[in-house]
Amino acid sequence: MLQVKNIIKYYGENKAVDNLSFEVKDGEIFGLLGENGAGKTTTFRIIMGLLEATKGEVLLDGEHIDYSITDKIGFVTEERSLLTKMSVKEQIVFYGILKGMKEKEIEKELKKWLKDFQIESYENRKIKELSKGNQQKIQFISAVIHHPKLLILDEPFTGLDPINVELMKKAIYKLQKEGCSIIFSSHQMEHIENFCEKLIILVKGKPIVDGYVKDIKKEYKKKNVLIRGEELPLKELEEIKGVISVTKQKDEYEVKIESETVAPKIFAKIKNCNITKYDVTEPTLNEIFIAKVGEVHE
Amino acid sequence: MSNKFWYLTKQSLKKKIKSKWFIGVNIMLALVIIALININSIISFFGGDFSENTKILVVDKTEISYPIFEQSIKTIKKENEDAKITIKESNKSEKELKKDLKDNQVAIIFENDKDEFIIAKVISKEKIDNTTYQYISQGLNATKTSVALVKTNTDPILLAKISSPITTERIVLNDKKSVDENMEMVMGSVFPTLILPFFMLIIFLVQMIGGEICEEKTTKSMEIIISNVSPKTHLLSKVVASNVFIIIQGLLLVLYSIVGILISTKGKLSIDPSIDSLLTATVESGFLDKILTLLPAIIVMLILSFLAYSLIAGILAAMTTNMEDFQQIQTPIMLVLLAGYYLAIMAGMFDGSILIRILSYVPFISCLVSPSLYIIGQINMIDVIISIIVLIITIILMTKYGLRVYKVGILNYSNEKIWSRFIKALKSKDM
Repeated sequence: MLQVKNIIKYYGENKAVDNLSFEVKDGEIFGLLGENGAGKTTTFRIIMGLLEATKGEVLLDGEHIDYSITDKIGFVTEERSLLTKMSVKEQIVFYGILKGMKEKEIEKELKKWLKDFQIESYENRKIKELSKGNQQKIQFISAVIHHPKLLILDEPFTGLDPINVELMKKAIYKLQKEGCSIIFSSHQMEHIENFCEKLIILVKGKPIVDGYVKDIKKEYKKKNVLIRGEELPLKELEEIKGVISVTKQKDEYEVKIESETVAPKIFAKIKNCNITKYDVTEPTLNEIFIAKVGEVHE
Repeated sequence: MSNKFWYLTKQSLKKKIKSKWFIGVNIMLALVIIALININSIISFFGGDFSENTKILVVDKTEISYPIFEQSIKTIKKENEDAKITIKESNKSEKELKKDLKDNQVAIIFENDKDEFIIAKVISKEKIDNTTYQYISQGLNATKTSVALVKTNTDPILLAKISSPITTERIVLNDKKSVDENMEMVMGSVFPTLILPFFMLIIFLVQMIGGEICEEKTTKSMEIIISNVSPKTHLLSKVVASNVFIIIQGLLLVLYSIVGILISTKGKLSIDPSIDSLLTATVESGFLDKILTLLPAIIVMLILSFLAYSLIAGILAAMTTNMEDFQQIQTPIMLVLLAGYYLAIMAGMFDGSILIRILSYVPFISCLVSPSLYIIGQINMIDVIISIIVLIITIILMTKYGLRVYKVGILNYSNEKIWSRFIKALKSKDM
């Protein structure tokens, strides 16, 4: 289990991380979100032991993270971190040995992973000869070859097509089943929604949203009403108190409302129209993110 | 942790030695060194000849000039070991000589002259090279003087005394130790040749360590490496690998030289007369004695300088974010090194200068300047020891503050100017 306790990090006078705390239990996938420069990379570097927090502490299975336990951590960086002149095997052996593994053990594991990602024939190919997507797979393999206890994934799906995204998701779930704690960061909110049970949204290093995804969505009062029908009284809908906006999306309308209590008023207005769809939905994580981050900037 | 250190060191060394750059540079170096050592044979192969003897055929119509001229040429050859001249009397007529004269032959015809005692015709097919012509002129002038003395009935004993070279005793009042003018020649030729490989090796060292760190940083693989080994372990592995690398490179340079000499002497370890005379001058000038006395200090200083250069190259490379930055940081290192090289070979020009003495203490150039000044007698062993102590202090300070810069620098990708990033990192307390 990873425990991040009240960490604060200053760069000179600039506060990069402001009193951040969270826990990631074994086998849990945790989302760390934030706009660019929100403090995610600094947080990752503190967790990895690359930077020292000005205040607070980070524990992995109850131990302070230092070079004696970094072998238990795997890290997929946002930008590719591969030595492109090396072959796939050389690269994985290089990172594997730095994780304290033996060469034979690494080669055995590598074969399994290459098979899982359907790139067995690339073992001896130079990394620079591989496509972006395949390089991303190699980067992922290099981070998990040692079966880490904690895995940090910073934009792991970059450059992958939908089929390969599925392959990587499968691999992540496999690690989750092994009890690996996973921290996931992405700007693609649908991936966060699919993957993470818990998340934190950082703005200027400060956590502004924190908790289980389902609770965050529930607590977020604004809802969306999706309506499909003919001759809808759009103007009247806009005038209802509590309606934020009415927008057309393909063959249906999305009505954003202040709270669930507004939904019956909308239904009353359209009940006599020929409606084929009426659905009150929770907002997407993307909407919550934009709204919450926007609020702070205002 | 030590396993990871040795693995990184091995990996770094393997990567460099297996690189096409290393193989290419070494093929070039081997060819250049072997070619330079065998330059005479190469030039001969393409039609030139440095070692070809000039044969002088003498027709003596005066009947007394030949033995005197022969003696003069013998004396000249004794004094100048590079004089490749043979001499023979000929009975041919001028016409026959001109007809039969070969490329490497010079014909000299001595004739009596009423006013000048003797005159000489010098005939050759082509132009005679300057040095050989000077030797011939010298011989002819000496012959004329001697013939003139004979013809004017000068006493033979007196004549011998007049003809014999002057005996000289060399005394330099301002020097505490014995000085030989040969030292200047040695410092001008032997010393630059000896320090040139070190100059080259330091350039290799800076490029290796800096290039590798820069590559790891620009590919972002540094983040993964540093998350597994400490920046200190990482930097030290690079320092050790690069120093082992240049030791291997240095040994290869020695090997190429031995191969070149073996080719030049066709397998026999005999020494070319021109090299032999240079070696004699090196020994006679006291250069060899001084360099042998200083050898332990030179070795210590070189090892420390290699360490200092690799540390500074590593620390500065950590601040780079791309190859352009790396080129930028290389420049000051190269300029300092170049200044050291020129100061070392021109040390003799700054006789008695306090500035050059102080410069011999300056780390990064002391390994080149100190031995040079010691050999020409401008500094003593205490000064050399001071240089070593200053170098050690510099390495300790670089390790302490440089590691701080290194740790901050390797994870810093900001667009600020490289030197302002450096200063900020130096001020940083994030150890």
